[in-house]
Parts: sequence; structure tokens; C-alpha cells
Amino acid sequence: MHNSSQPRTDAPTAAGEPVIEVRGLAKEYRVFDKPEGLMASVTGLFNRKSRVVEALRGVDLRVEKGEFVAMLGPNGAGKTTFLKLLSGIITPTRGSATVLGSVPWERTDDFRRRFALVMGQRNQLWWDLPAAESFRLHKEIYRIDTPRFERTRDELVDLLDVRKLLLRPVRDLSLGERMKLELVAALLHEPEVLFLDEPTIGLDVVAQHSLHRFLAHVQAERQMTVILTTHYMKDVAALCKRLVVVTEGSILYDGSLEQIVDRFTSHKIVTLDLDAPPDRAAIDRLGFPCEIRGPQVILRIDRTRIADVLPGILRGQGVRDVSVEDVPLEEIVAEMFRSGSTAGTDGATGAPR
Amino acid sequence: MTRYLSIFLTFARACLVRDMTFRANFVLECVTSLGWMAMNLAFYLLVFTFTPEIGLGTGWTKEPFFAFVATGMIINSIVQALFMPSAEELTEMVRTGGLDGILVQPLDAQFLLSMHRVDFSAFANGLVGVGLLCWAIPRLPQPPHPIAILLYPLLIACGVAILYSLVIMLAAATIHLGRNQSLYDFWFYLTNFSRYPAEIYSGPWGGPLRALCTFVIPILLVVNVPARVIAQPLTEQGGMMVAGTVFAAGAALLISRWVFQTALSKYRSASS
Repeated sequence: MHNSSQPRTDAPTAAGEPVIEVRGLAKEYRVFDKPEGLMASVTGLFNRKSRVVEALRGVDLRVEKGEFVAMLGPNGAGKTTFLKLLSGIITPTRGSATVLGSVPWERTDDFRRRFALVMGQRNQLWWDLPAAESFRLHKEIYRIDTPRFERTRDELVDLLDVRKLLLRPVRDLSLGERMKLELVAALLHEPEVLFLDEPTIGLDVVAQHSLHRFLAHVQAERQMTVILTTHYMKDVAALCKRLVVVTEGSILYDGSLEQIVDRFTSHKIVTLDLDAPPDRAAIDRLGFPCEIRGPQVILRIDRTRIADVLPGILRGQGVRDVSVEDVPLEEIVAEMFRSGSTAGTDGATGAPR
Repeated sequence: MTRYLSIFLTFARACLVRDMTFRANFVLECVTSLGWMAMNLAFYLLVFTFTPEIGLGTGWTKEPFFAFVATGMIINSIVQALFMPSAEELTEMVRTGGLDGILVQPLDAQFLLSMHRVDFSAFANGLVGVGLLCWAIPRLPQPPHPIAILLYPLLIACGVAILYSLVIMLAAATIHLGRNQSLYDFWFYLTNFSRYPAEIYSGPWGGPLRALCTFVIPILLVVNVPARVIAQPLTEQGGMMVAGTVFAAGAALLISRWVFQTALSKYRSASS
């Protein structure tokens, strides 16, 4: 069931209008439980038990032109389902959405020419052929004229330094090389909206870094609107200013990266490098939760008290070095996932921007 | 239309490049396919050592019958080359979620899904079919009427359209079922009925089967009508069959389009 009566335009989005607007978007799946054992399997042929799984529970989201939004969430949170709905691959059970003024699941060609979807776990290039052949096909499908195609391809290929890979069969490429070429293919038609579903999954740090630089550059230059789903905090920190945290099909947090730290943590991490392993009792007397690793002490101190207590700590412990940091994003988000999964049943707390 | 033709040619080119990459496999496929055809032809030659005609008074003597076989080879090779590889791949695409990538592209999904793979080795059978037809036509008891020669390509196209519609509907079932590995088997069973003259389906069992395969699943029209037009004299009944075949092809295309679009709207994608 979907709302197809919404206004739809294929005209370029005017400044100030949202590129993506989602209201009460929900997706339910009926899944069949496969019973265990032979007899149960035979019985299941005639009497199958099914249940409804709520992949997405009435999500609201508004994304402006040029935003780079990260969606974080544990496995099964509904991130990929959300991207599939916005790409028009599947239809929602309830709710409405417009992307670039179009209802995605109407799958009009005009709309599909204006966005791209890259899925880190799916290969969209022709497996047995060089990427250059897939690019040629892409040119035809998206009706890209030859000068524009050559200019864009050369620019992207040079940015990612993959020219030497163009004529090698895709099956002979490493995962990182393949992902770079997937991105080139996806950007050849210069989409206004890019959906990235875990693009860095399985990549080594060098490849991740290279993709980060590339995506940041292309997004800034083209003012592209990007939604990125990921499990990696490095992707978020490197690319996005806005973070949407999803668990169990609901949005737990939607706001800036800075806000999430302020909002969901009350303390900072103070790391002390001492001359020698400290006396445990002396550290405990400071009255803060602590962890001792040889000569290193890690304290969790209330952020409002840092300025007051830090001078005293530095005076008394033979400190060689000190660092004061926010709680790692991974830790904050993991805690949100844990609390979100218990809060999910009594209404997850959305945090509007 | 020109754009779709251009895209199809790009697909075909990419498939040819791929086939040439695995040349040994390509040659092996051609040889296997031609071997199977040769065995079939040998079998029919053997049959004609026992009888001068398939069904007394049917007109299917040796040369007309080989024109029938050639017509079947041409139609089947077109379907096998252009549509079957994509339809078979659809099963895997639905199961693994590869269909997602197709649905986001700004093209008709049915076109993309049914024509993105071309199996050039399957054309080998078609070439043999053309050769066999060229051998049979001058030896027919009565040369084909000029109208029959004009109608023949149209009816070949109708036969291909009916088979294509069946392939598409079977492939659409994959989207509902999530897995449909028996697609090719079922296809083989169905098309088996079209390989022989309709006259062999007679009697208490054959009659209803013939009616079923003519009016419900018009598989008997696929080869029989074009073969009859080219290999036997034109009759009034033959004219009605021609009209029926053109109608059946149009109806099959429309129904299969509806079935496929309905199936796509129910697509749930696979978990990533």
C-alpha cells in the first residue's frame, strides 16, 4: 500500500526544498518460520506458520540538497530497507516518500536517471568483462552523450587512480579495486542523489581512506545529496556532518555528530601516561571510574568537573603525558543500540535535530 | 525503440566479447548443441525408414516433416539465444538480490531482464535449421505459395512471441517463489509438445491435450502453423490458424506483460 497521490515533479529541486522527504514510512514482511526436523518440515508443507516482521516502523526524515547523511544501525535495523524504498526497489506497507520530487516506487525513468545506488555487498559490473564494457553499457542506458561520458569517466578514473584497471576483467580485481570501479559506474551519469549501502564493507584501511577522500571530494564538488549506511564510525567521521541512528526500524537519533557526543555522554576520557605503574588504591581515591594498563591510567571524568579536577591529578601522579578526549563515537552508538533495543518496545525516543 | 535496439546491441556485443573470452566453452556449447540436433535428425530419418508419413493422410511426408523440424529449430534457437539465458539468470538474481541493480536503471525492467544475456552458441541450431529448410523446400511435393513465403517470417515471429511470453511468465513465478530452479525443466516439458505435428494428438487422450495446447497454452501453434504454411498447401482452415496464431501471440505478450509487472510490484528483494 502506498500513497501515489503525492505531487510529483521531475523538475530540478529548487533551493530550500527537501531533496528527500519521508513521512511515516513503514515496511512489513511476512516471513515463514521453517520448523526443525523432517516431520515438522513435511507438516510445514501443508500448514506453514508465518509472522509479520516490521523492518521499518513509520520513519520520518527530511534531507536537503547537498547533505551527506550517515545512517548507522546494527544488523537488521532497517537501514538497507530504507535505501531500497528510497530507490524504488521495494514498495512500502505504509507511509509516503518523495526523492527529487518523485515517488520512488513508481519507478519512472526520469527519476531513475537522477540517482544512483551502490551496494557494497552486491556487484553491479559485468563479472566476466572489463569495467570499460560496463561503462559503455551505462552510457547507453543513461543516454550520456559521448563528450560528457568521456569527460566524466576520465575525471572519476583519475581521481580514484584506476585507469590501469579498466581493461581487466572485473572478476580478476580485488574487492577494493572493484568497489572503486562500482563507484565510477554509479557516478558516470552525474546523479543528484547517491545512496551508498555499506560501500566500505570488507575493505582495508588504505582502500577505505581512498574512498573517503574520493566521496568527500565528489560530493562537495557536485553538491550531491548522499545517504550512506555503514557500520564503520570512520566512514561517518570522515564524511558526514549529520548522523541518523536506526534500531529496530525506528530512528533513535537524527542530528549532528557533535550533538550526539554532548547529548548522550556526560563524561570525557582522560588518559594519563605515568612514569611507573600506579598504586591502585591511590587511583581509586580519586573517585572516578578507571582502568589501569601498566603505567597508563584511563579515567572517566564528568565533563563539567574536568577543569576543576585535572590540575590536582596532574600534580600528584608523576604524569609524563595526558590526553582528554570525548567518549569514542563507537561506544556512544553501541550504548544507543543497546538502550534502543530495549526502548523499542515501549516507544523509541526519537531525537529531532 | 532505436534506443532499446542500441542497448540490446550493446548487450549482445558485451556477451559476444564474453563468449570469445571463454572460447573453448563457446565451441563446446556449439558442438554439444549441434550433436543433440544431429541425433534428433538421425532419429527422424530412422522413423522414415519404417513409414512414409507421420500419420496417414496428414501430408507430413519426409521433406515436409523436415521443413517442420527446421522451423522448430529456428524458433527454438532464437528463444534459446535471446531470452532463455536471461530468464534462467533471473532465478538467481531474485534469490541473491541481484535484481535490485536492474530495477534502479532507467529502462523497462522486462526488457532488461529478458534480453540482457545473449547465448550466441544457440544460434548454431538456427543456422542448421535454415540449412535444413533450404534443403527441404525444393523437395516439397508442392512449392510454397508466394503468400506463404511472406507469412512465414511473421509466423516465426509469432511463435517466438508465444514462447517468449511463456518464458517470461515462468520467470515471473520466480519472483513470487523466491526460488524456481525447475524453470528450464518445465520449459523443456512444455516445448516438447510443440516439436511434433498437431495431428499426432488424436483419440480420447490426444484430442483434449491438443485442445489444451492450442487454446489454453497455445504451444501447438508455435511450430505447427508456420511449418504448415511453408510445407503444405494453403487452405481456408490454414488461414484461420494463421489469424489465430497472430491473435494468440498478441494476447500472450499482453498477458505475460501483466503477469511480469504484477510480479515485479510484489518483489521483496533479498537481505543483504
